[in-house]
Amino acid sequence: MSNADNLLTAAAIRKHYRMGRSVVPVLTSCDLSVRRGEFLMIMGRSGSGKSTLLHLLGALDTPDSGRISLTAGPQSPEVSVFPATERERNEMRRRWFGFVFQFYHLLPELSVLENVLMTRMVGTSIAGWFGGRGAIRRDAIALLERVGLGARLKHRPAELSGGERQRVAFARALVHKPLLLLADEPTGNLDAESGAKIMTLLHDLHRNGQTIVMVTHDMQLTQSADRMLVLENGALQT
Amino acid sequence: MYKLFLTLRYLFARRIAYFAIAAVMLCTAMIVIVNSVMGGFLDKIKAKARGLLGDIVVNNNSARGFPLYGEFITDISKWPEIEAAAPVIFSYGLLSFQDTAILNTVQVNGIDLEKTYRINAFKQSLFYEKHYPGSTTLGVQQQPKLGFDPERSPVSSDSPGEMWVTLPAELLDLLAKARAAGIEDRETVDSGVNVALRKAGLPTLPGLFEVNIEGATDDGSGADGSVGRAGYFGDPREGIIIGRDLVAFREKDGRYRRYMQRGRMTILTLLPISDGGSVDAPIKVPLRYADDSRTGIYEIDSKTIYCDFALLQRLLLMDEGERADDSGKIPARCSQIQIKIKPGVDANKLAERLEQHYRSYLEKDLPDVREFERNLLSGIRVQTWEESQAAYIAPVEKERFLVTILFAIISLVAAVLVMCILYMIVLQKTRDIGIVKSLGGSSLGVAAIFIGYGAAIGIVGAALGGTLGYYFVIYINEIQEFLIWIRPEWQVWDRSVYSFDEIPNTVRTIDFAIIVVCGILLAILGSLAAAWRAARMQPVEALRYE
Repeated sequence: MSNADNLLTAAAIRKHYRMGRSVVPVLTSCDLSVRRGEFLMIMGRSGSGKSTLLHLLGALDTPDSGRISLTAGPQSPEVSVFPATERERNEMRRRWFGFVFQFYHLLPELSVLENVLMTRMVGTSIAGWFGGRGAIRRDAIALLERVGLGARLKHRPAELSGGERQRVAFARALVHKPLLLLADEPTGNLDAESGAKIMTLLHDLHRNGQTIVMVTHDMQLTQSADRMLVLENGALQT
Repeated sequence: MYKLFLTLRYLFARRIAYFAIAAVMLCTAMIVIVNSVMGGFLDKIKAKARGLLGDIVVNNNSARGFPLYGEFITDISKWPEIEAAAPVIFSYGLLSFQDTAILNTVQVNGIDLEKTYRINAFKQSLFYEKHYPGSTTLGVQQQPKLGFDPERSPVSSDSPGEMWVTLPAELLDLLAKARAAGIEDRETVDSGVNVALRKAGLPTLPGLFEVNIEGATDDGSGADGSVGRAGYFGDPREGIIIGRDLVAFREKDGRYRRYMQRGRMTILTLLPISDGGSVDAPIKVPLRYADDSRTGIYEIDSKTIYCDFALLQRLLLMDEGERADDSGKIPARCSQIQIKIKPGVDANKLAERLEQHYRSYLEKDLPDVREFERNLLSGIRVQTWEESQAAYIAPVEKERFLVTILFAIISLVAAVLVMCILYMIVLQKTRDIGIVKSLGGSSLGVAAIFIGYGAAIGIVGAALGGTLGYYFVIYINEIQEFLIWIRPEWQVWDRSVYSFDEIPNTVRTIDFAIIVVCGILLAILGSLAAAWRAARMQPVEALRYE
């Protein structure tokens, strides 16, 4: 397999946290390649650093050292995710990455549709927004219909079930057509039935070519992934 | 786009923001009210001062006055910049009304009425001149009295002796002219005569007149057999114009209730000052109350009377006279010259030229101008009306500035409140901030949400406060009336203390705009700390926040 097939590459990633006076190492040396169109699952115990790794891969956080790079297309130049300036990382999150969190993280004052539109509002000027609002809105509604929430557009997150909230979060993460979907235990807060629906959604996305990196501690979910890595003692193992 | 969207959404979704809006609103309203009342107070003082003085005044700040005013007025009247000029004499005296115990200390102004009409707004302050145009004079006059109207039947058949009254024909003609010009009396309480006339649907007779029931003579003997006839009666005397508050009470509704009849005899007692500076024997002079003046400044309207310039000059020994040693003439003197200039003329430059011109008399060889007169001339100062009132206006200006600054400092409380509320909202919205950043929102963008939030609070608060303040100022007198109606002791504006009979109720556009903009800036200032904290949040930490 050539390097051109790799969407994201991380090498020698190190990350620690400070807890008062003590230093807690989380990632000691992580190397990772995410292939284009791949559904990669990362397993690990609670506190093993799965979410931290996901945040680093998605330019949401910065490692202490190492290098993360992304190649948008087979003919595209390699772009450094880390090191990069804050402005560059903001731009990457806006264009290339989509995040789904365990606790949904929807904006409570916004409706379902507005939460999804928020992804497109970020980085769009007022003039640009009013110029292309119709098309953006149609895309968002189509996506929400695809995740089965076409009838709940005007509802607030507080009026939805956990599974529905997570589907809104998926729609929000996908509305800008990201290169990489990063899902942080998306079923961790759901009952079995809702979790299964989410996994079905992920499979559908994967079948349609979406590259996905998902972290979980649920062994059963790993069966549907193309590849699985285990994060243990701060390093990834196959 | 997300910044504007979230700013507006938070503004209406977070009820706690209403407290910040209320704080900005109240502070803006407070400063608009304070600034407008103080500013209006200042404007009124300036307008009244100008209305009473003309554009330029010549003074020497001496109770003895100064000479050569006649020559000066003759000279400058030829200047193209000059519209009109008139001499004035100021003195003090005692005023009493015949057959009453009333005795007032008054400032006596000697004026040339016709010239004064051309120079300042004095004519507009006169009551009888307004309703009977052309009837007011400071010259020799008798008392106009009401008589029974021969053309009307008795008031009722039950009281055949009770007849309708009427004014002398000349006054009725003048009243008809005023009525034709749309002038109605809305500033005085109806006299008993007018109550009856109004009740009968007949036109009222503005002012208060004596009914000729005792006779045509001042002693009431009725010896000439004119009882019951309208006309002019009594001894002919020079007239005086009296400050309104000396001849009428002011009711709570703002209207005046006259208690002195027009043409009533008064006694003015004056104390002439000799050339040596000593007070000569008091002079008592009977004068007829010709009209009353209301400038709107209580200090003036309750203490000032106006009589003929030449008369006062003569009574105060300021007129031209022969020197005791027959060595020549003593030139006539006045206390002040008021000058009206033509529109567009630079008053400051003209004042300088006028002063130079007056001082040039010192260089001329004028045989009647001796050392004493030269000393009076050397003190001549020509000032614009603003300069002449600077000692009075400047403290009010400073007071206004000081009060506005003090209230502005108090208004910083609003900024602190906005800061606290927005800081609290930032803490509550920590996770939202993380979400926005995870979607690619920049630190600057997140800061902009909260600065925009502060600005939105400022705009809404300042707009509401500006509106509240504006209408409070416009209706401030009605509000005071309402408070007095609830409890009389809640009267906050005492006209005898504040000089004006109404609380100033004008809002200056430029001041209003500055205050509203400052209100918005104040709220933005209050949002900076919250915006700073929001911008500094790391997205991962914000998402983990609980």
